[in-house]
Amino acid sequence: MTTNPAYDAAHAGGVIDTATGIPKSREEMFEFYEFIRNQTRDAESKAGEGGLEFPAGYMFKDPVHIEDEELGDPVEFLLGEMDRHGITKVIVNVDDGGHGARAVRDHPDRFAAGIGADPNQGMDAVRRIQRAADEFDLKSVSAFPAGLYPQVAVNDKKFYPIYAKCVELDVTFATTIGVPGPRIPFQPQEVAHLDEVCWFFPELRIVMRHGAEPWADLAVKLMLKWPNLYYSTTAFAPKYYPEAIVNYANTRGADKVMWSGYFPAGLTYDRIFAELPSVPFRDHVWPKFLRENAITAFKLDR
Amino acid sequence: MSDPRPTDAYFDAWRGGVIDTMLGVPATPEQRKAEHYSKFNAGILDKEAREKFTFPAQYMFKDVPDLGEIDDPIALLLAEMDRFNVSIGMLNVSTNPIAREAVVQHPDRFVASFNVDPNEGMESVRTLEAAVKELGVRSAQCFPAGLYPQVPINDKKMYPLYAKCVELDIPIFVNAGVPGPRVPMDCQNVAYIDEVCWFFPDLKFVMRHGAEPWTQLAMKLMLKWPNLYYSTSAFAPKHYPDDIVHYANTRGADKIMYAGYFPMGLSLERIFSEMPQVGFRDHVWPKFLRENAARLLKIA
Repeated sequence: MTTNPAYDAAHAGGVIDTATGIPKSREEMFEFYEFIRNQTRDAESKAGEGGLEFPAGYMFKDPVHIEDEELGDPVEFLLGEMDRHGITKVIVNVDDGGHGARAVRDHPDRFAAGIGADPNQGMDAVRRIQRAADEFDLKSVSAFPAGLYPQVAVNDKKFYPIYAKCVELDVTFATTIGVPGPRIPFQPQEVAHLDEVCWFFPELRIVMRHGAEPWADLAVKLMLKWPNLYYSTTAFAPKYYPEAIVNYANTRGADKVMWSGYFPAGLTYDRIFAELPSVPFRDHVWPKFLRENAITAFKLDR
Repeated sequence: MSDPRPTDAYFDAWRGGVIDTMLGVPATPEQRKAEHYSKFNAGILDKEAREKFTFPAQYMFKDVPDLGEIDDPIALLLAEMDRFNVSIGMLNVSTNPIAREAVVQHPDRFVASFNVDPNEGMESVRTLEAAVKELGVRSAQCFPAGLYPQVPINDKKMYPLYAKCVELDIPIFVNAGVPGPRVPMDCQNVAYIDEVCWFFPDLKFVMRHGAEPWTQLAMKLMLKWPNLYYSTSAFAPKHYPDDIVHYANTRGADKIMYAGYFPMGLSLERIFSEMPQVGFRDHVWPKFLRENAARLLKIA
């Protein structure tokens, strides 16, 4: 129990994390980030040294490190973390080395299927989404526009066939937005780009990830304007949630802002759930923020 | 160089039957203006074209067909086709109920194309898919300069439609080159096709309406991109660009296909009286008049 009864009650009802990764060992994580190191130009990032073992490491006090011997079965490890923190359901990518697909198949009540999309692959990206939807109850297509090689702006034409496929399949699109942590250009993730996408694809549900900073005010304005635009708090420790977002959730945006973590990439659940009760959400916001909005935005109850 | 003498090869190919990938339902100029061209007026600013033209590109055409009163447009069209050995014609069925009727009543004589409007977003993607599944439509078509607002060939708004064409495995016929109507040309620059062919290598893309004055580039791009084609719509045979005839005669025999423009701007009579003088080499004629279109439109 914390000193925040509204939070406690909402938390007891169950929490949903819309952006979880299958845990990897420290070495596997380092390998995974090769795609980012390839695009960085500064020596520190390229080497993955000086606190940049994790490419955005300069921003994080205690990035998650799981040593090989403590990992065991990654799906069981993740379930253990979820149970410890009252997380009832998470979305994982089913194209992530086989563990994600296994998690969704073995525990459909705990794991929902997502898939990453790379618009540089053209129609093959569209076909992969279609295949994933044929095979799984697909809930999310996600992208990291600044991390793609080459980078692809979130309103670039290369994304349009993917957006059209999401609309057709009624699957939600989740994208990192705002200045990216890794030392690569931010232009593809300017929040302003979303305006055009929301206009052209009014049925497309879009969930912003990774802060939308420093354009949180614009993110709020656009959420007010576009009914299907949402915000999730990925990669942000609760004490750093942008004020504009907290204010919006407390006023007109209670249905638009949802919690998401950053495990195992950058934040431990211990830290997140220790800080969460101090976020000044109004009482009615908590159940929406921790669970209900994720269900709406990703149609998890469909 | 063109050989001015009609060849046996031409007549043999012609007797075998022609596929015309651009026919229209006969209508009086007034009907056509009311149904089709009136929506252009939003984008046409010059007074002459706006007020005096019944056909927005009429300044380019000598004898726009005037069919007088039309009793039975489908019968009239079939009679014209029979006169000139056009065995199969492609009609745009997206808005014209008579075109739909023609395709339903005479499936051996007509195949259907469907007009897409990228300004409609996903709605156009959905109507195209429904048309293919429900009406047996065999191709999409788009007139970028005639859209309001105009949409360049490589614009992002086109991309969901191109993706759908790939998924449905149908070609798209797109006007390329300076448009006849007095609207800006930029959106139909042939150069834009390069990027589209790169991003959608499986997309079968057919240029319409000449690609002028960028026919050398059109040729270069057809050489580069296996799924890029050219159809001769809206051009009287004596005006077929030299580059295109040359390309058909050399490496492009499988890439160039006949299309007319009846009744919009050219009579079949004019087309087929000029046709024998086009300097195609013998082996090109059956491909040009029929086989290339048959392969693309999956006509047995």
